[in-house]
Amino acid sequence: MAYVATRGGEKAIEQAERLFRQDLGTIDAQRVETIRTTMPYLIDRVMGEASLYDEELAALALAQTGGELSEAVLVLRAWRTTQPRLAIARPVKQDEVLTQRRISAAFKDIPGGQILGPTLDYSHRVLATDVLEGKPFAPPQVEKATSPAPAKQPSLADWQRQQGLVAPTEPSDIAPEDIPDLTREPLLFPASRAHRLQSLARAETGGVLALGYAAMRGYGNAHPTVNELRLGEANVLVRHPRGTEFSAGRVRVSQAEVTSKEKGGYLELGFAATFGWNEVKVIAAATLDLNSDEAPVGSPVHEEFYLYHTESVEASGFCIHFKLPHYVTFQSILDAMRDTKAKKAAAEAKGEVYVAEPEEEPVL
Amino acid sequence: MFNETPTTGPGHGAMLDILARARPDRLKQHAETLLTTMGEINVIANRTGLVMVPMRDTVKNVDFHLGEVLVSEAHITDAAGHVGYGMVTGRDLERAMAMAVIDLSVAARGQDDITASFLEQERTHRAAADEERMRQVEATRVEMETF
Repeated sequence: MAYVATRGGEKAIEQAERLFRQDLGTIDAQRVETIRTTMPYLIDRVMGEASLYDEELAALALAQTGGELSEAVLVLRAWRTTQPRLAIARPVKQDEVLTQRRISAAFKDIPGGQILGPTLDYSHRVLATDVLEGKPFAPPQVEKATSPAPAKQPSLADWQRQQGLVAPTEPSDIAPEDIPDLTREPLLFPASRAHRLQSLARAETGGVLALGYAAMRGYGNAHPTVNELRLGEANVLVRHPRGTEFSAGRVRVSQAEVTSKEKGGYLELGFAATFGWNEVKVIAAATLDLNSDEAPVGSPVHEEFYLYHTESVEASGFCIHFKLPHYVTFQSILDAMRDTKAKKAAAEAKGEVYVAEPEEEPVL
Repeated sequence: MFNETPTTGPGHGAMLDILARARPDRLKQHAETLLTTMGEINVIANRTGLVMVPMRDTVKNVDFHLGEVLVSEAHITDAAGHVGYGMVTGRDLERAMAMAVIDLSVAARGQDDITASFLEQERTHRAAADEERMRQVEATRVEMETF
């Protein structure tokens, strides 16, 4: 490695941090609460990528970093490490989620029906510039139905399994404490399915979208159709010291199944889920899952490629490290370049042809 | 077993569900009221921490970790060894402690009328909020047609 310790600049560094924070101004509880209540989808994205669900802390992270998402995710992940793990909840099952949006692009008549929920899918995207002219935008109220939607909706994949459309599965019998956990063990390849789905759940939205989109455009081997997209709230089911199970509260979750084509007599399905409501991320992530099995090594839809390159903190950290002092590395490149030029000039002065030695790639 | 008590009103699990999602101010106020008539309490834990939440994949039926949720926990006992426990999502140690105090009171003395009333009010409030939301959600139900 060609790093070098740099000396000096302490005052400049301190002032640089002050300048960053001064530009953001005073951060108080009111600002945090305003961010929390007015930007729920941004909060959801940060919580999902941080793999830490707490709306207040996510809002604080956004306030403290001025909305620089990779920094916000980084401070949340770092803060997470200060907290003890108290329990592992009972696994969330799809048909137990308080479902507020559930659609299928593959089947129009699904058991339980389709519910659009809160969405702009069929709306014009028009910027409300009147707000800037002093006319507040007050959205019209929903005309409520006379009866509520069912709190729970059946699993579409289970129904498809009963119809013989989707491959049967073995019942899950793993104890929660034995579920593979990326926060406690490294990601190795080929990854277990539990590692793959956990890694996608905390992956960077933009990265997942870019690679998922590449697959959708033809750089993968399967074009997705949304089998089911679901947004809802899941109970965090924990145990009282006496063994009673109860819900400590609810968290927003998104999950998507995508399908492509028949394989071995069954529909192929890809799956992904994440904390918060972030449907672009889960559709793209499920597309990557769908494409994984037959992906060539080195392609964007091979799990080693997309899992390594969508890990938010590692990716942003590696990217920004290039602005830190690399003086020795770069000096050696300059030295080599000058040496080559000098040798070439000397050779030409003698009327000879200079043949450069093969270069070695610098290790950064 | 505690699950068989209280003999009226919601069972233990249902009671804990209500307490964990009760309106914070009312929860704390009710716990304060109960505390005046309770003896010495031993605090075993009152801290924030994480609960890992797994999810079951619908394609291969594999359980995987979705991520961790910040919770506040309170674990208390009285002189007779009764246990009170509270865990709520979020960073609010007082709320978790208030839940534990009410749980301990019910474990030690059964469910008094005021607590039964409090639980019913909170259950009704939460159910009404859920119903209101799900009526709005139902308004978005769509029947797709193909041409």
